[in-house]
Amino acid sequence: MGDRSGLQAASQLFWKQGCTMMFKDVADFCICVSMTRRGLRLGMAKVTQVDFPPKEMVSYSKETQTPTDTQTHTQARPEEEEDEEELAEAKPAEDSQEKKADQEEKQEEAPPKELTEEEKMHLLHSDEFLTFFDRGSRIVERALSERVDVCFDYSGRDLEDKEGEMQAGAKMSLNRTFSDERWSKNRVVTCLDWSPQYPELLVASYNNNEDVPHEPDGVALVWNMKYKKTTPEYTFHCQHPVYCVNVVGTQNAHNLISISTDGKMCSWSLDMLSQPQDCLELVFKQSKAVAVTSMAFPLGDVNNFVVGSEDGSVYTACRHGSKAGISDVFEGHHGPVTGLSCHSAGGPVDFSHLFISASFDWTVKLWTTKSTRPLYSFEDSCDYVYDVMWSPTHPALFACVDGSGRLDLWNLNNDTEVPSASVVVDGSTALNRVRWSHSGREIATGDSDGQVLVYDVGEPICVPKPDEWSRLVHTLMEINENRDEGDELAAQRLVA
Amino acid sequence: MAEVEETLKRIQTHKGVIGTIVVNAEGIPIRTTLDNSTTVQYAGLLHQLTMKARSTVRDIDPQNDLTFLRIRSKKHEIMVAPDKEYMLIVIQNPSE
Repeated sequence: MGDRSGLQAASQLFWKQGCTMMFKDVADFCICVSMTRRGLRLGMAKVTQVDFPPKEMVSYSKETQTPTDTQTHTQARPEEEEDEEELAEAKPAEDSQEKKADQEEKQEEAPPKELTEEEKMHLLHSDEFLTFFDRGSRIVERALSERVDVCFDYSGRDLEDKEGEMQAGAKMSLNRTFSDERWSKNRVVTCLDWSPQYPELLVASYNNNEDVPHEPDGVALVWNMKYKKTTPEYTFHCQHPVYCVNVVGTQNAHNLISISTDGKMCSWSLDMLSQPQDCLELVFKQSKAVAVTSMAFPLGDVNNFVVGSEDGSVYTACRHGSKAGISDVFEGHHGPVTGLSCHSAGGPVDFSHLFISASFDWTVKLWTTKSTRPLYSFEDSCDYVYDVMWSPTHPALFACVDGSGRLDLWNLNNDTEVPSASVVVDGSTALNRVRWSHSGREIATGDSDGQVLVYDVGEPICVPKPDEWSRLVHTLMEINENRDEGDELAAQRLVA
Repeated sequence: MAEVEETLKRIQTHKGVIGTIVVNAEGIPIRTTLDNSTTVQYAGLLHQLTMKARSTVRDIDPQNDLTFLRIRSKKHEIMVAPDKEYMLIVIQNPSE
C-alpha cells in the first residue's frame, strides 16, 4: 500500500464533506467504495465569548489624556487637534500641523517598529497563519472571480441572458473546463466522480506526469462548479498514480472494495487500512484468474457485481454467500473491457438487469444478466471506446467516450444505429472517462491531457418523459426479436 | 511557504486586482503589494472597520461572527477575509 496517510486524509476530508471516495494508490488496482457520511453529532456547547480590544497605541498620547479605553489613530487625532488648539492658540497653523505630522509619524512609526522583517517572516511561516491563509485566500479567490454586479444597470445584461437561452436549446454545450497548470497538465484523467452530498463538487484523479518525475505520481483534485474561480478547491497527492476514484453512496455500509488485475478482490475497512477485511479470489472455472480492468455494482446492490476483464469477457460475481466468486461469463467483446455501467435510472419498470460495456474493440455492447450473449452492439465509433455510463435519470440514455475525443449520447428509444447527440472535444485528445452528474443534466468528461470538461445537456435530451420506461420495454422486445432472428439466420447460413 | 507566495501572486495578478495586503491582529501589515503609505492607510482604516463590523455582528448575536467583508464603492471593491489573528485585504477594480 502506498501513501496510506494521504488516502486516509483524503477520505477523512471527504467523509466530512459528506462524500465517499476511494483511492487506488497501487498500480493495477480498481477500487470501489461504498460508504457514507458519518452522522453529525450535535450537542450542547457552551460558548465563551472572548473579546480583546485593539492594542492601545500609547506612544503618541503624551499630550492627550483621553479616558477612552479603546484608542485608535483617528480617534486620537481629532482630540489632539482640539487640545493643541486650546493649548497653543498663539502657535501658527503650520507649527500645529507640523506637530500633527510628527505625532502621526510617531504613531505610524511605532507600529512598524514592533515587527522586524524577521518577525514578519516568522509570522508568515506559522501554522495559524497558514490555516488562516488557506481559508482566506480561497474565499477571496471565489469572490474575485464572481462578476456579479448588484449595482449594474440591468438592461445592459439582457444580451448575456439571451445567449444563455439560445444555448439551452442546443443538444450539448460546454459549460466549464477545469485544468490546473501545475497539477493536471500533462497527466491523464483516470477517474471522475460527482459528490452525492454537494452536487457542485466533482473529484478527478490523475495519472503521473512523465515530464516532472519529482512531483507526486498520484493527484486528485476537487473542482467546484458553483464558483467561477479556475483553481481547484482541494488538492491531494499520493506517491502512486491514482487510477480510480469513485463516490458511491449507500446509506449504511462503509466498504472500500478493491480489485486488482491478479484477480483478487479485497474489501477494506477505512479504520484499518493495513490489511483487508476479507479477500476473494476471482477465478473462472476453477483455473483461470480474471484480470479485472473494470467493475460496476448494480444500483443498491452490494453483493452482486459485474467485472470486465482484459480478455474481453464480462463476468458477474457475488461477494458473499455460497456462490461467492464468479457466476457467469458474458463473451462478446474482442478486446479488453474498459468500462462497465449498470442501469440505475429508477422508474415504473425495473431495468436493473441491463448493463453496458465499452471495449477496445470500438464497440459498446448492451447486455442483460438474463442472457450471456449481448443484446445489442453499438458500432458507431472508429476508435477505442474508453468509458460508458447510463444516465442516472433517463432509462434509455447513456453516454460513451472514445479515443478520438468524441462524446456520444445514445437514446435507445430514439435510435440504436446512431447516437442522438455527439460532440467532439477540441484538440487531439482522447477522452478517458465519462460521468453523469447525479441530476442527469450535466456530463463530466476527462481527457488524456489533464482537462476535465463539463457539458450541459439540453433538456429535450436528458429529461425523460413519463413514457420512456414503457417505450424502453418495447425497444428491448424489438432488440430481442432482432437478435433471435439474427441468430437464426446465422445458424441457417452455417447449415446451408 | 512557496504555496503562500504562489497564491498571493495569483491573487495579485487576477483581473482587476489593484493591491493585496496581509494584516495581523494589531493592524500591522505583514505583506503588501502596495506602497508603504497606501498600505498603512488601508491597513489601519480597514482594521478598525473590520473590528467594528465584527463587534456589530457579535453584539447582535454573541454566537455569530464576521466571516467576510466586502465594500463596494464607485471605483473599487475592497474585500476583507478576517480571522482571529490575521486579515487578508484585496482591492479590486471590478470594471476591468
